[in-house]
Amino acid sequence: MENKQSSSPASFVDSTVVPGDVVLDLSSMTSQTIKLGGGLRQDCDAISAMKAGTLRFSKPNKYWIESSQKRYVPCVEDTILGIVVDSKADNFLIDIKGPAMGFLPVLAFEGGTRRNIPKFEVGTLLYLRVVKANSGMNPELSCTDASGKAAEFGPLKDGYMFETSTGLSRKLLSSPTCPVLEALGKKLSFEIAVGLNGRVWVNAASPDTIVVVANAIMNSESLSGAQQIIMVDHLLKNIQ
Amino acid sequence: MDARLANTWRLTLNEKNFIKTALLSEIRIDGRKPFEFRNISINFGREDGSAEVQLGQTRVMGIVTAKFVQPYRDRPNEGTLAIYPEFSPMADPSFEAGRSGESAVELGRIIDRGLRESRAVDTESLCIVAGKLVWAIRIDILILDNGGNLVDAANIAALAALMTFRRPECSLGGEDGLEVIIHPPEMRDPLPLIVHHLPIAITFGFFIDENVVVIDPILNEEAVMAGRMIATVNANGDICAIQKAGEGVSQRVIMQCLQLAITKAADITKQIKAAVEAYNSERALQKIKRETTCVGNNVKGDQNQTLDNKGISELVGKYMERLKLISVESYASQNISAEETKSLRRGTDSNCIKFNSTPLSWDPYSKCVDLEFLKASVALQGLSTASEEKEATGKEKGSEAESAGPYEDVNSKWSAVDASTTEMHVIGPKTLKDAVKPKNKRKKKASSVI
Repeated sequence: MENKQSSSPASFVDSTVVPGDVVLDLSSMTSQTIKLGGGLRQDCDAISAMKAGTLRFSKPNKYWIESSQKRYVPCVEDTILGIVVDSKADNFLIDIKGPAMGFLPVLAFEGGTRRNIPKFEVGTLLYLRVVKANSGMNPELSCTDASGKAAEFGPLKDGYMFETSTGLSRKLLSSPTCPVLEALGKKLSFEIAVGLNGRVWVNAASPDTIVVVANAIMNSESLSGAQQIIMVDHLLKNIQ
Repeated sequence: MDARLANTWRLTLNEKNFIKTALLSEIRIDGRKPFEFRNISINFGREDGSAEVQLGQTRVMGIVTAKFVQPYRDRPNEGTLAIYPEFSPMADPSFEAGRSGESAVELGRIIDRGLRESRAVDTESLCIVAGKLVWAIRIDILILDNGGNLVDAANIAALAALMTFRRPECSLGGEDGLEVIIHPPEMRDPLPLIVHHLPIAITFGFFIDENVVVIDPILNEEAVMAGRMIATVNANGDICAIQKAGEGVSQRVIMQCLQLAITKAADITKQIKAAVEAYNSERALQKIKRETTCVGNNVKGDQNQTLDNKGISELVGKYMERLKLISVESYASQNISAEETKSLRRGTDSNCIKFNSTPLSWDPYSKCVDLEFLKASVALQGLSTASEEKEATGKEKGSEAESAGPYEDVNSKWSAVDASTTEMHVIGPKTLKDAVKPKNKRKKKASSVI
């Protein structure tokens, strides 16, 4: 295992890795807690990649693998958009575009008790947080943040939802703001909710605006920053 | 079961409401106007009779094949036409492999009705022996990606494939005149099917509000719409078939839709015809290509050779004449001295001439080479000349070495062969291409002579 890693772990960050690559060696890093995000697995002292993609690191200690797919693999602490499919006694079944249905406990709301269980129609769109995500088990979701407050989680009213790849939804949430959102925001006023599972919800005053925003975001996937701005200008000219 | 639940595509309430409210203000979620069709792109495969149509995100492939069958009892002198739709699971999570649901059956039936009932394809011309043997045309429709409105896309794919399909020509022969001989494509050109007109299917979507009608619905709109009508019309204004499902609509709306369908059908017919034309002309070009490059090479050879002494150009001229006449005697009667041919041999373009003239009658090999060249030049369509040529050049090599002239690089000889037997060169372009690059070699030769 040591032979594989001839270079320091830092060099793997921001480079492409494939499943099986050992990206971190814990024996060289003592007394440090490291958080592992999606796509990484711990085998005793070695951290190896399970997905193909780019290894990312964010201070102080979080590592994860990023790749863009249509399918979503649930990961703890992700914020996603889910669709209610069914309601059972203890939890709601939510479709999160992943390999298995998500479970949303009926009490996972701010001030939720057995008496005020919310009633969601089949097809309701919810903004949720992933609490537990283990392979093989249905992921557990919640409508509150870690401290128990509502914090914008919950059902989204009106507006329009469309699907994208996971890479595009990450780009939309990155900071500094994605060029397409900036360009749109200068001329139009709208509200969006981005789910890391490849779903985006848009709401605005007029249907025109919603359609333009949705199409602009969908087209921006393969364009560079400058091209995105040009594309947005073009679209806006057509409606005005 | 859980996996299947998780994989189904779902529509949120938000989307449903939004699509309906947006349509009230005549806005569609992909930015189109209500009566606007998506962009259609038609591509053809390498074989005759295969077409792939892209209608926005929807992709459908149509493949036409034919075989011999016994005709139906009640129609003994007509060929048969059958449509086989296949909904591939890669198109949509709800499609299952194997038997696909009723939408597949419906799609097949609509296209079938459009083509058969309206007699778009002439089935009587498909009869070979009345009552015994007819052509059975089979159209396979493969759905590759479901982006909404599969019927229209599948119909266009079927039509494009039918128009580019070619069936082998067959005739009756044999002792009793009842034996069917199928002519291979190299012997006789395969024949196209006789298509009288193109029935185009146009899908309309109706929503709760009667005034809201859209054409060419996408996947989301299809999930929300209340009623649907598929009108199969042709550019002449004939209505071939109508399929209506879902909510009832008034007669006025139906008539409006039919009028609109006829205009749209005219556009789509033009597009299909243009695409088929382009494909056919490309095919024809490929066949003619050999002849045209042949002429080109001749010209080049001529020009290059004028760089050398006049004598050579004369010879070239003579050679060209001979080539046109394609007569065996002309080659033999060419009067060129042995020395001249030798000098010519040393890396000049007119090497070709010396081959054919063969005053070096003492050279046993060149004669053989001669015959080879003659055969090759005479048989313009011959494909086997490539191998003959190789043989010839091999022999030439030997002869050159024998003649003990300052035998230069192999290149000179190779290119000589090229220049001389331009038809051969063209016919077997691939075989020679690797070994020879005529232009370069000729230039090299010109310089080397000086």
